[in-house]
Amino acid sequence: MPITGPTEPTYSIPRGSRRLLSRGLATVLIATVGLFAISWIFASSSVTRGTLLTMLPFASALAVASLGQTLVVMQGGIDLSVAGGFSLYVVILTKYPAGDNDRLWAALVIAFLAAIAAGSLNGLLIGRLRLNPIVATLGTNALLFGVILWYTAGIPTTTTARLHSLGDAVWWHIPAPVYFAVAATAVVTAVVKLTPVGRRFEGVGANETAAFTAGIRVQRHRTSAYVWAQLLYCLAAVLHASVVNQPTAYEGNSGGGAGYLLPTVAAVVLGGTSLLGGRGNLVATAVAALFLSQLDQFVLALGVSYATRTLVQAAALAVGVALYSINWRRAFGRFGRRPATVAPT
Amino acid sequence: MNRGRRWALLACAALFTVAMITTASSSATTSQRPSWCGPKKIKLGFTDGFGGNSWRLVTTASARDEAKKCSSVSSIDYADGQGNTQKAISDIQGMVAKGVDALVVFPDAGKAMLPALRSSYKAGVVTVPYRVTPGGQAGRDYNVFIDTPFVDAGRNWGKWIRKVLPKGGNVLMLSGPKGNSQGIEENKGLHQILDPTKKYKFIGEQPFEVTNWDPALTQKVLSAAIAKNSKIDVIVSDFGPSLVGALPEFTKSGRPIPALATSDGNVLGCFWKKQYKKNPTFKLFTVSTQNDHARLAIQWAVALASGGKKPASTHFPSLLFEDSVTGKPNKVQCRANLPGDIYLSAQLPAAKQAKLVR
Repeated sequence: MPITGPTEPTYSIPRGSRRLLSRGLATVLIATVGLFAISWIFASSSVTRGTLLTMLPFASALAVASLGQTLVVMQGGIDLSVAGGFSLYVVILTKYPAGDNDRLWAALVIAFLAAIAAGSLNGLLIGRLRLNPIVATLGTNALLFGVILWYTAGIPTTTTARLHSLGDAVWWHIPAPVYFAVAATAVVTAVVKLTPVGRRFEGVGANETAAFTAGIRVQRHRTSAYVWAQLLYCLAAVLHASVVNQPTAYEGNSGGGAGYLLPTVAAVVLGGTSLLGGRGNLVATAVAALFLSQLDQFVLALGVSYATRTLVQAAALAVGVALYSINWRRAFGRFGRRPATVAPT
Repeated sequence: MNRGRRWALLACAALFTVAMITTASSSATTSQRPSWCGPKKIKLGFTDGFGGNSWRLVTTASARDEAKKCSSVSSIDYADGQGNTQKAISDIQGMVAKGVDALVVFPDAGKAMLPALRSSYKAGVVTVPYRVTPGGQAGRDYNVFIDTPFVDAGRNWGKWIRKVLPKGGNVLMLSGPKGNSQGIEENKGLHQILDPTKKYKFIGEQPFEVTNWDPALTQKVLSAAIAKNSKIDVIVSDFGPSLVGALPEFTKSGRPIPALATSDGNVLGCFWKKQYKKNPTFKLFTVSTQNDHARLAIQWAVALASGGKKPASTHFPSLLFEDSVTGKPNKVQCRANLPGDIYLSAQLPAAKQAKLVR
């Protein structure tokens, strides 16, 4: 049975949840291919091997974090604690080992446990206590930054050599983090789209009442979205900490310029997942993360000022939102009919 | 009996000798009392606009270390504004209410801190802001402002560039947030030295590429600059340690790391030691990152409040630190067994700094 989101127009082409190319994926794929073409024509330096080797690991980390945000958005929520969570996992991964390779595994375990704790807190507040996701995750975000300050006093630590060798590795001409991002996207997509639990998860997001009536445990699915999201942020943090030699204590907030909050939400929106919840386009989200990262690198390569760079990124987000949220057929229809109404006078 | 008396005499002699040595050494310490340390007992306050990074920790510890040299300082209070201007202002008011006699302030928020400084000064507290200009006037809004001419750092880098690249070349400058006054001043100094020769071309965004002093953004900006400019002969940066993650971008693009004029940091020195053999063009020159600026501010505050001798200058100079070419004033320094976040140019011993940042 196809499950469609409540906001999607009913008169569009027939659709099934397992179609290969959704509207979101098609749009973002075309946009990304177009962006690479434009990059190649107008700023060829942004598609040289050296630049791509720098851009792709960052894009991978963003893609994985955006997958987490997509899961939350699919449940009609939003996770503003991505910056706090992400930063916390980065500092655990760098400060706990403090350069000692042998302590890296323990750091990984602690970081993932912290992710489960943060996700459970969000899940409890939103899934069980029914708090507004914006308020609840904003609170969690502040709490997580408190923990970071307590743990590090804001002092950055250099990444361990072993973790850095992962970020620096190039396997078969492609940076290693890309494989992690592709694998994460494949696994999350497979679980959501192909398994019964994934179908139920999407069903809860699409229509809570219907899902409840059908006997699905709504609260549990809603809570799990926040936990899985934090686990994905944690994986993203592993990739980020492996790429950046000396990450600051606030990477989620400001790392790489824009941090991870706005870009993850932008990737979700550009990927065509409705912010009102429902069906998620996970592959499209990952591609959108690549789009945003390349856009960043393209504008840098153009050599325009920092102010223009910021404006271009904001414009890309606005265009993305407009693509999906405005009913273009109706808008054009109204525009087309106007002469007819004016004519009689 | 006789033997007992002899032992008693010996013990007395030993005691006397120990006492003599102790007095001598303690009188030696008092005779080492610095000239800026006056006789009047004072309470000292020290407020920071933001205390949460390794540079600030080392700087604060340096300030404490300096104040401890003066026995007239009976107590030292410290407050961290945590990047919150409101808190930084109330910290100053709190110190005044506590009754400190002298107050040293790192006014990160600049002019926003002026009213608080003025009220502290008007309340009779010796008020000494340093490093970031709060506007206002010495003698009206505060006692004295201890500045550092950032333009001199730019001039020092420029002079070195002229030495290592006498035939000229392409210069790429990186600094923090867009329009930050430190970067603008440093850029001015660079131009003052390099422009008259007409051999050097400044590439990239002017006056400097914006990195927000963020390692990840630096990485992106530098890789874009490398791809865009086939020739970068020297990089100038006012935060050397943030470049350590970004410089390997040259290697990724199959190009050698160019010369680098910047500020010091242990992590950078160690990076250079690992890379210079593979990259013959990677020459390194650093100026001190100036943790000891706080020491001069403390000296002024203590001198004014305790009646000591005023230090000679209100300017903290830009000091040369490492030069990989001449080895003067120092060769490139690296303490591989200590954390990367310490600054070997600071007076505070490296081991003490390591304890702070761990």
